[in-house]
Amino acid sequence: MDYNFQFNVVWRNFDALLSGAWLTLQLGVFAFSAGCLIGLVGAACLSFAPRPLRWLVQAFVIFITNTPALIQIYFLYFGLPEFGIRWSNEACVLIGLTLNAGAYLTMILRAGFLSVRANEMEAGETMGLSLPQRIRYIVVPHIAKSIYPALANFFIVILVMGTSVGAVIGVDELTGQAINLSTVNYRWLEYFTVAALMYVVLTFIASIGLALLGRWAFRVKARIF
Amino acid sequence: MPHLAVNAIHAKYGKLPVLHGIDFAVDRGEVVSLVGPSGSGKSTVLRALVGLTPVTAGSIEVDGTCIDYAAPRAVRAARDRMAIVFQQYNLFQNMTVLRNVTLAPTKVKGRARAEVEEEAMRLLKLVGMDHKATAYPDELSGGQQQRVAIARALALKPEILLLDEVTSALDPELVNEVLDAIRSLAAEGMTMLLVSHEMAFVREVSSKVIFMDAGQVVETGDPAAIFDAPSSERARDFFGKVLR
Ligand SMILES: Nc1ncnc2c1ncn2[C@@H]1O[C@H](COP(=O)(O)OP(=O)(O)O)[C@@H](O)[C@H]1O
Ligand SMILES: [Mg+2]
Repeated sequence: MDYNFQFNVVWRNFDALLSGAWLTLQLGVFAFSAGCLIGLVGAACLSFAPRPLRWLVQAFVIFITNTPALIQIYFLYFGLPEFGIRWSNEACVLIGLTLNAGAYLTMILRAGFLSVRANEMEAGETMGLSLPQRIRYIVVPHIAKSIYPALANFFIVILVMGTSVGAVIGVDELTGQAINLSTVNYRWLEYFTVAALMYVVLTFIASIGLALLGRWAFRVKARIF
Repeated sequence: MPHLAVNAIHAKYGKLPVLHGIDFAVDRGEVVSLVGPSGSGKSTVLRALVGLTPVTAGSIEVDGTCIDYAAPRAVRAARDRMAIVFQQYNLFQNMTVLRNVTLAPTKVKGRARAEVEEEAMRLLKLVGMDHKATAYPDELSGGQQQRVAIARALALKPEILLLDEVTSALDPELVNEVLDAIRSLAAEGMTMLLVSHEMAFVREVSSKVIFMDAGQVVETGDPAAIFDAPSSERARDFFGKVLR
């Protein structure tokens, strides 16, 4: 191989890559957290709500999980303006990713809901806890513990794969920045090598953070890798 | 007026009728035991009292007031006065022993956490579990979990305690520690309805024994009469087997 790596250009523009990584992290964390809330409400609906509402949630989940995230975001970015709704490209990615995560997390959390011991719920009920209280104090901690590894994995998926979709509609997250910079001086290989390493660092930090959080909050003995 | 009166209640699971007119009464401070073969509907009676299994006919009165189980407010009031301890303990696995006991008093009754915790420690001490306050249920033996479940029920300050075969899931050497806890509650004058297969214990603590079979009360009487001279064939048969 006689390719001549020139990382100097990359270091000169390293700040731009760093700001991209920072945006990636923000997008991932926000979409995941808001998606968790949607997923929690969705899973609660699937488990406890009357039929029409359950169908609505099911339809949402089926629609989202069977279409590519890219198309959902395209729809928000190019489709909604036709209806007079115009969001910035960042907002489209954020909302699209959040809805996407919400649908997947509905399914992940639903599995957790199903695994809650019914007799704990009955005990809570006879002790006077309302349904929202039982969800808050019995169901959520239980599923947090039983599906924490699945949740943590999903966070990494959003952080790496989800957010990079933003690049196609011009959001300057890490992948977008790498593309922007390399179109200026064609150092694709260098930029993408460094961007890939930065993704690894991000996921590494996230994994350690999640493992520690799991241990501390839910007594989950999660492995870091 | 009895503290708790159960008047001809019927109940079913889906279409399957399980209780066919159960009648009995428990006076204030009295310990009454429900005995009978497994599947006779003893648990269902307790579940009906706390509104877990709907009553399809008949009525339940606490202190002379009929409970309308169709009204959420009335069910809440009933659950406020009666606490149930389940055969399988049903502790909240994700909480420490102390939190299991303090959850409802703080979240349902809205009482101050510090005050509730102090009281919870006193109750845990009563059942001999104060040294495990920070442990999680899966770190405890069955007998220990059951004693925590009793403390948790007591923290609700019930007037009437319902105990469903609280010793049947326990190893024999753990039974006594739970029975001791119940014995001391009886001595303090707590009104209790007890489902149990520990016949010697039933005989010792109860002032009245109700023998159930196939969803009906077959015989009611004081322990000596019912154990030593049952008048019905079914009771004779049952006690003949369990008392040997
Ligand atoms: N959740 C349930 N669904 C359907 N049938 C039930 C359920 N629980 C109990 N049963 C039936 O109701 C009858 C009474 O049960 P139960 O009250 O648990 O009896 P016991 O406590 O005396 O052993 C039994 O025939 C049992 O099979
Ligand atoms: Mg039973």
